[in-house]
Amino acid sequence: MSGQGKTQRGALSLLLLCPFLLAVLVPFLWMVLGIFKTNNEFFQPLGKAFFPVNYEWQNVNELLDGKWVPFWDVFGNSLVVSFGQALGAVTLSAMAGYAFARFTFSGKRLLFVLAVALILVPRQLFAVPLFSWVNEIGLSDSLFGVMLPGVVTGLGVIYFTQVFRQVPEEYLQAARICGATELRVFLTVLPLVWPALLSYGMIHFILTWHEQLVPMLVLTTETKQTLPLALAKLYDVSQRTPQGVQMAASTFAVIPTAVLFALCYRKFRSSLSDMLVH
Amino acid sequence: MAAGDQRTPGARWTPFFFLLPFLFFLLLFWVIPLIGGVQMSLHANGVGQAKYIGFAHYKALANDERYFTALRNSFVYTLASVVVIVPLALWLAHLLRASFRRLRPVLTFALLLPALTPPSVLAVLFVMVFHGRNGLLNQLFVMPLGFEPINWLKDPDFILSGLVLQTVWRWTGFMTFFILAGMEGIPRVYYEAARLATGSRWRQFWHVTLPQLRPVLLFVAVYLVVDGFSLFSGAYVLLGGSGGTADAGLLTVTYVFLKTRFFDYGSASAISISLLPLMVLALFGCLFLRRRTV
Repeated sequence: MSGQGKTQRGALSLLLLCPFLLAVLVPFLWMVLGIFKTNNEFFQPLGKAFFPVNYEWQNVNELLDGKWVPFWDVFGNSLVVSFGQALGAVTLSAMAGYAFARFTFSGKRLLFVLAVALILVPRQLFAVPLFSWVNEIGLSDSLFGVMLPGVVTGLGVIYFTQVFRQVPEEYLQAARICGATELRVFLTVLPLVWPALLSYGMIHFILTWHEQLVPMLVLTTETKQTLPLALAKLYDVSQRTPQGVQMAASTFAVIPTAVLFALCYRKFRSSLSDMLVH
Repeated sequence: MAAGDQRTPGARWTPFFFLLPFLFFLLLFWVIPLIGGVQMSLHANGVGQAKYIGFAHYKALANDERYFTALRNSFVYTLASVVVIVPLALWLAHLLRASFRRLRPVLTFALLLPALTPPSVLAVLFVMVFHGRNGLLNQLFVMPLGFEPINWLKDPDFILSGLVLQTVWRWTGFMTFFILAGMEGIPRVYYEAARLATGSRWRQFWHVTLPQLRPVLLFVAVYLVVDGFSLFSGAYVLLGGSGGTADAGLLTVTYVFLKTRFFDYGSASAISISLLPLMVLALFGCLFLRRRTV
């Protein structure tokens, strides 16, 4: 194809993508601008008052000072829960995936099918018995009660089974010949697959960051709750929270996951391209 | 795997050492709650030693119109989201590939921004921007075409479409990202071979791209199905935890949640358990598809 033809095709594709980009970006732009609006401005028709009259930080200050919800507590809790759960999920799934990919043992097929079945059962459906069980083992109203149940994931096990299948066998053999224990062999393989570890950790972090139902059942004290619960409270009409404060909280809720994804973007994509097709 | 013995020198328990943490948490947070759920569904509601009532909760469900409404809505919602999102994401991935290489990461990232956003925030943005008389949907599409503005969240004919639209808005970019990653992994040689056989881009797409993308598409579809059946926060914020006007937006998880709110735990568990056979069926469907592809 000629260079000019390529440019034309690129420009045309970009043009066709534009409506979709607008459909995504306009609401987010509107959210960020909403931080600076008064309630009155906020409810104007979109075209009339897209930009705020004054850029003042009062709404952000109110949110950060904890006037409406204990923002820093909630934000910190969300970070702790998401990070802890992602770490746990990566550890457990990587170990299990390694076992599935690299060993033969009786009951392997059955266990693997069980792991696949886990993916297909939505966790939310079993929130109620899970909640009463969490109460029974004394984890109610504790961050661990939210963090620990989520560390078991079928998706993770299947992902890491695929990942470890691609590690060359010679590598493992070499480690064994050097007299490494099985655990040691596993640990020497880990650096080879770190983009996969990072990618899965990121995905799990994002999913946990969004989780609402289980935290809603388990966490009752306001300072122990997570961000989605605080958001639900802010959005609640009866609370009469100013719209600008709501938009500030929403913006802060998007920033961590967006930054994390942007940082991991390249690694994540190349690790996916390697895996999805082979 | 004939080399299995060679791979596990000596100790037979080694694989179980690696599986143990996973199995422990699986037992603790999946198997036990699942058994607890079965038990709850067989007992009357109450604290402590509740009375065993057999299949009464299930029998009640069989006569519960709302239960079937919820099932039907969840099913329609899930199917609609897969049918809309997968082709759209394929097309977007194709456009991204055809557009300028340098812009590609930025464009992809912009498109998947909704997937990084908590569902409740997404629902609020969705309501504010798209919904209502002043919303963009009505202003740009419905009213210029000469129709009355649609109240997406109150009119029972449109609630479900509103939910589907929200899902499309949420996931399309993310799935585009996966499909794009899959497309970039397809070896160039395949296309060169295809180019010798046919000049048509459409046939290259049909005979090379699509078959190569099957694992990705399967993953995307499974993800959407599971997410569709577990949709909660989006619908919770949009419809305030209810089923909306005339239950038109009542989804399965919402119904479970409604039951819980009135402390009807037995019935709530019965709904969850009754879905298991459906999930198992879906599982075997996927395994079957997978076997045919590989």
